[in-house]
Amino acid sequence: MSVVYFLAGMVIMGGIWALIAKITKNEIPTPLATWAVFKEVMHHPFQNDADQKGIGTKLLSSLGRVSIGFGLGSLFAIPLGLIMGSSKIAMKIINPMVQILKPVSPLAWFPLGLAIFQDSPKASIFMIFICSLWPTLINAAFGASNIPQDHKNVSKAFGFSTWKYLTKILLPFSLPHIITGLRLSIGIAWMVIVAGEMLSGGIGLGNFVWEEGFNGGSVAKILVAIIIIGIVGSLLDRCFTWLQQKFSYAA
Amino acid sequence: MSQTSIIAAEEDITEIADRILEQTYSAPVSIEINNVTVSFKTPGGTYTAIKDIDLTVKKGEIVSLIGHSGCGKSTLMGTISGMVKPTGGMVLANGKKVTSPGPDRGIVFQNYSLLPWLTVYKNIYVAVDSVIKNIPETEKIKLVETNLKMVNLWEHKDKLPGQLSGGMKQRVAIARAFSINPKILLLDEPFGALDALTKSAMHIELLKLWTLDHREKTIIMVTHDIEEAIFLSDKVVVMNNGPATTIKEIVDVPLKRPRNKKDIVYDPKYMEIHDRLSNLLIDKFSIDDEH
Repeated sequence: MSVVYFLAGMVIMGGIWALIAKITKNEIPTPLATWAVFKEVMHHPFQNDADQKGIGTKLLSSLGRVSIGFGLGSLFAIPLGLIMGSSKIAMKIINPMVQILKPVSPLAWFPLGLAIFQDSPKASIFMIFICSLWPTLINAAFGASNIPQDHKNVSKAFGFSTWKYLTKILLPFSLPHIITGLRLSIGIAWMVIVAGEMLSGGIGLGNFVWEEGFNGGSVAKILVAIIIIGIVGSLLDRCFTWLQQKFSYAA
Repeated sequence: MSQTSIIAAEEDITEIADRILEQTYSAPVSIEINNVTVSFKTPGGTYTAIKDIDLTVKKGEIVSLIGHSGCGKSTLMGTISGMVKPTGGMVLANGKKVTSPGPDRGIVFQNYSLLPWLTVYKNIYVAVDSVIKNIPETEKIKLVETNLKMVNLWEHKDKLPGQLSGGMKQRVAIARAFSINPKILLLDEPFGALDALTKSAMHIELLKLWTLDHREKTIIMVTHDIEEAIFLSDKVVVMNNGPATTIKEIVDVPLKRPRNKKDIVYDPKYMEIHDRLSNLLIDKFSIDDEH
């Protein structure tokens, strides 16, 4: 049944799209015209020549940067968030920094990364790293600071070691919150990578949108890229939703 | 063999009774509460929960703390478990001053306090593993198994607490407390959240476990249920209402064991104790009572 609803949604979206194409007198290409370009783009998706790269190669390159930045960011944010949530003093020291740095647009970090690394792909990774920190950090801290007194009592009553407390109470309780944070982070990271690659050039989806789409004068290619970015982003989100369900438990 | 039986036969019944009495009175002290006061700092000033409490509990005794909600009975219990630090006086448990929770005192919490992400088996194993360090893993596994079988939950060992009923969860919590083999067992309103039928079954279950262990564990239980207190206890400690709660009266329950849930209510001694406790705790018995 949900497939039917999904298809209905797609049909409505295609209808609106076709209408816009008609109003703009094909300035915005029709779904069918876009489909033709899509097939063309997908002809050799993993072509990897020096002067000609397929869309798949670009996608993988973007995903690679996102994973490195997001991975490093999470490795940093999870422990720091747990420390923040476990200690009031750590919270008071770290929280003001987070509050000041969090609202800064990820794009503002890009030139700083460029200045530090003198390399635009590395600067992109740096930007992803920074922007994947905050949701994970804040959610991990929230999880750790909300451990019910009941669970802490168990640890006290049975004299848990620090290690046991960490692995049997702190981590399992915070895990669903951490995953929520990761899910938000990966969403932001995926949004930011496109913008970053537009700024930095190099191989990637952002570069495809800018160079082949806009500079190449093909609106259809821009649309193709938007669709691919959207689908990949929603798949990433699905992965973390699945993880969330896997690690939720009834009290 | 035959010699001992002859000697036993020759002994006067009263003599045996005297000896048992003497043994009872000379039973070693398990818990000694000396002049304990607990105050908390609140925004509105200092709040004294319990004041100048003195209480001695002998080894193998079951003692109930009973009183109205918020009277500080859980606080008093907390000073024995080590969860609450007294602001005045001190508590001795097994001859040692209580400063923190310890493996000689097993605790069963009101809301079971099982870790929801661990199976029944692992909930107990983690406690055993934490408390009893100097035995091999196989013995730890055996301890968990024995205690889970004792509360008839072995077939549910792989379930998560969320999949169990309230009574089953409480049995897991009791098995967990027994599995670390503490000298003192502290039960904080253990059956408060259970329905009357389950509660009744749990009383028998608890006495069974206590008897299997040769009635050597001292049990302190917080409750607000008069029948439960009488059925289980040797002594019922009645608390005044807070703040600055003191002990109102200690009522002895000299009913012989094993006790029978159905018959005990017809025992004149039971009725007398029930009456005494009702008068101490309830000040209105009908709508006509002046207050």
